[in-house]
Amino acid sequence: MLPSRRAPIVTQVVVYKVGSADETFGKTGVAHFLEHMMFKGTDKVPGGEFSRIISRNGGRDNAYTTFDSTGYHQTIAAERLELIMRMEADRMTGIRISDREIVPERQVILEERRMRVDNVPSALLDEAVRAQLYGRHKPYAMPVIGYPDDIKKLSVNDLSTFYRRYYAPNNAVLIVAGDTTTEAVRKLAERYYGPIASRKTEPRRRPSKGAPDLPQKVIRADARVAEPRWSRLWLAPSYRMGETKHAYALQVLARLFGGSETSRLWRALVVDGKVGLSAWASYSPASLGLTSFDIGVHPAPTRSMADVEKAVIAEMKRLLDGGVKPEEVERAQNQLLAGAIYSQDSLASGPRIYGTMLSTGGTVADVDAWPQRISAVTPAEVQAAAEYVWRDDGAVTAMLTPAEGSR
Amino acid sequence: MKRFFAALLAGLALLSLPAAAGAIEIKQITTPLGIKAWLVEDKSTPVIALSFSFVGGTASDPAGLSGATDLMANLLTDGAGAMKAQAFRQRQEDAAASIGFSASLDRVSGSLRVLSANRDEGFELLRLAMIEPRFDPEMVDQRRAQTIAALNQAAQRPASVAGRTLMATLFAGHPYAADPQGAREDLAKLTPDLLKKRAAAILLRNGLTVAAVGDISEAELARQIDSAFGKLPVGTSPALPPQWVPPTKPRTVVVERPVPQSTALMALPGIPRDDPDWYAALVMNHVLGGGGQQSRLFNEVREKRGLAYSVSSGLRTYKSAALLVISTGSANERVAEAIRVIKAEMVRLRNDGITEQELTDAKTYLTGALALSLDSSGSIASLLHSMQVDGLSPDHLTRRGALIAAVKLEDVRKMARRLLRDEALTTVVVGKPVGVTPEP
Repeated sequence: MLPSRRAPIVTQVVVYKVGSADETFGKTGVAHFLEHMMFKGTDKVPGGEFSRIISRNGGRDNAYTTFDSTGYHQTIAAERLELIMRMEADRMTGIRISDREIVPERQVILEERRMRVDNVPSALLDEAVRAQLYGRHKPYAMPVIGYPDDIKKLSVNDLSTFYRRYYAPNNAVLIVAGDTTTEAVRKLAERYYGPIASRKTEPRRRPSKGAPDLPQKVIRADARVAEPRWSRLWLAPSYRMGETKHAYALQVLARLFGGSETSRLWRALVVDGKVGLSAWASYSPASLGLTSFDIGVHPAPTRSMADVEKAVIAEMKRLLDGGVKPEEVERAQNQLLAGAIYSQDSLASGPRIYGTMLSTGGTVADVDAWPQRISAVTPAEVQAAAEYVWRDDGAVTAMLTPAEGSR
Repeated sequence: MKRFFAALLAGLALLSLPAAAGAIEIKQITTPLGIKAWLVEDKSTPVIALSFSFVGGTASDPAGLSGATDLMANLLTDGAGAMKAQAFRQRQEDAAASIGFSASLDRVSGSLRVLSANRDEGFELLRLAMIEPRFDPEMVDQRRAQTIAALNQAAQRPASVAGRTLMATLFAGHPYAADPQGAREDLAKLTPDLLKKRAAAILLRNGLTVAAVGDISEAELARQIDSAFGKLPVGTSPALPPQWVPPTKPRTVVVERPVPQSTALMALPGIPRDDPDWYAALVMNHVLGGGGQQSRLFNEVREKRGLAYSVSSGLRTYKSAALLVISTGSANERVAEAIRVIKAEMVRLRNDGITEQELTDAKTYLTGALALSLDSSGSIASLLHSMQVDGLSPDHLTRRGALIAAVKLEDVRKMARRLLRDEALTTVVVGKPVGVTPEP
């Protein structure tokens, strides 16, 4: 429960602890397909009416699927909290999945895939890169939306089985933010979610290793690419798996190495070396299994992929050999902490942060301790984290190019 | 910096306390230098958000220099006063302040977000960006190269190509037709001197509209606004573009791209924001293809037939034109059917209007939906800013519900007949559509 009286509105988020990484090869896309089916009918709310009811009550709703979680959220006038809680509880067990409804929805999902992936060369490359990094047919290697062949085959039975296995109060996190009170939320939650039976859920498993044959290189030459991109992804520990002690130092590393236009990478490649048009580093630790540390560059015109790779490696080496200065670390910490303050200024980001953490094995205390843990990171820990993650046998290099052999 | 760091940690601790109650109360202030601003004082988070704009946008780019306004806006935060780009950015980061400028067809807009504890530094950096921008040649080159790369990428992205082609087709011969980011050959001509002239032509104190939200009092805001904007010169803002003359015959433009899904945009002349029947148009658009999953287009195109993932309609208003734009994306083999279904829905709405139930539902949604967007200081500031640009009064938020409630079935039917005219429809399809015939 995250109170805010700024506007007379509330946001409810229900996050299920299940995502595409809980699927098996051959049935990819089932978590996301089920997310779509959750907007179809129950005995109490007829097909297609869920969002219509919320809309006619002046609210908005949507849903999302990730590798580790599936979330449903609504924002509405504060006095309608009971309505959305009643409806969300109803569809936790009450969805009727039929052939009549999955036939057109399958086409909708294939269109969604065309829009997000098949029409987008960089998204197709990212899909291939994940397969190389995590190992083909492994949980994080398969796309959240699913492979087209699987989407075309998923049946009513596949969806119902997945639904019955994972959708239950004991496998969900409820987050309410906005203009209400803890007591009001507790009372409503007990009334609507309380009576729903628990289900026995299996522990979620994620591989402790990535692909066995790294390093790898993946090149996508595509006539639809106008601007090339060089990137390298390293397998990295998350909050939950691998050498988790590096998880906070890696956030500081990503920030100071490639998190803004004053970062080391940007200065070296864009400002001084003029090798890149832009450069970045990123790392997301909230994952049940391993995650990745990514570096990317858009090469400047006339500069080759080899030039870019050389410049990136030189910058990495400078950090590995020379370490990082205390004031650099402090700056990165300040930026991360300021980001946390600003995110508390928005009603949407609180539920997102808690929802992600709680559905990937973390706790409320983990979220609350984040500022302290980030500010405790030392320069030596940043350097040690870089040494640990930037290993040749843990990386996939990816190149997106306009056509074979150019630049 | 150590001290600042400690302040940040203290700030985070404070946020777990209950926030102060308060509905949105808009105060109008006039600074000692005579600048008018709107303020919503809100101490629930230690943040100040400023949203402002100047009259004159990319449509006022000088002939042969398209992209000048956009590039100028980008470069305002790339070095000011004695600080080059890196130093200026570093100062922003150290103050956890974020300053940004962007250009639209009619305006140059800016924003400032700063922790209230660092407000002096935030407003000082804002002042420097507007009064003493550097336009260093190496930064001009860097941003120009990034802009050209972005144009190249957009030229391959079906949705961007469709959007660009739609504007170029609808507004042929009008300033709105030009790419706001500029043409490559024009970008090549832009010099630091030309960009300085562009800034001087637009950043005028009398062309300013400004709104603030957050942890700041009226008197303090007046002082900060005068110090940031007070030194801007007074002058004549760029003239508005001539009023657009809408097309009178249907057109269909097809742009070939090697993608499995075609993007389709269908545009009609819309309705100006100050039209007395604006709310009837808002209701009509909501029923046809407005936000969420309840619209007729969503139901017919997506739910019933699975022809698209995304289908929606929206009203767009500019200073000299207005549009109603429907957009969707469908497999090359099925996009013709999606377009056919959309056209049939236009005809149905025009002939039969909407139902009593649809009218009631649209009203409750439109009345409630505004509050949903008030979820951060920045979004409240930008609402306040756009209300001023639209010429609305501060009490509009309390009057708006009655204006929506007053819309009658017959108003919506009239609006449908006025807007949904087949002979004024411009369709753009990007991809490899099957069965879509171009109409020149």
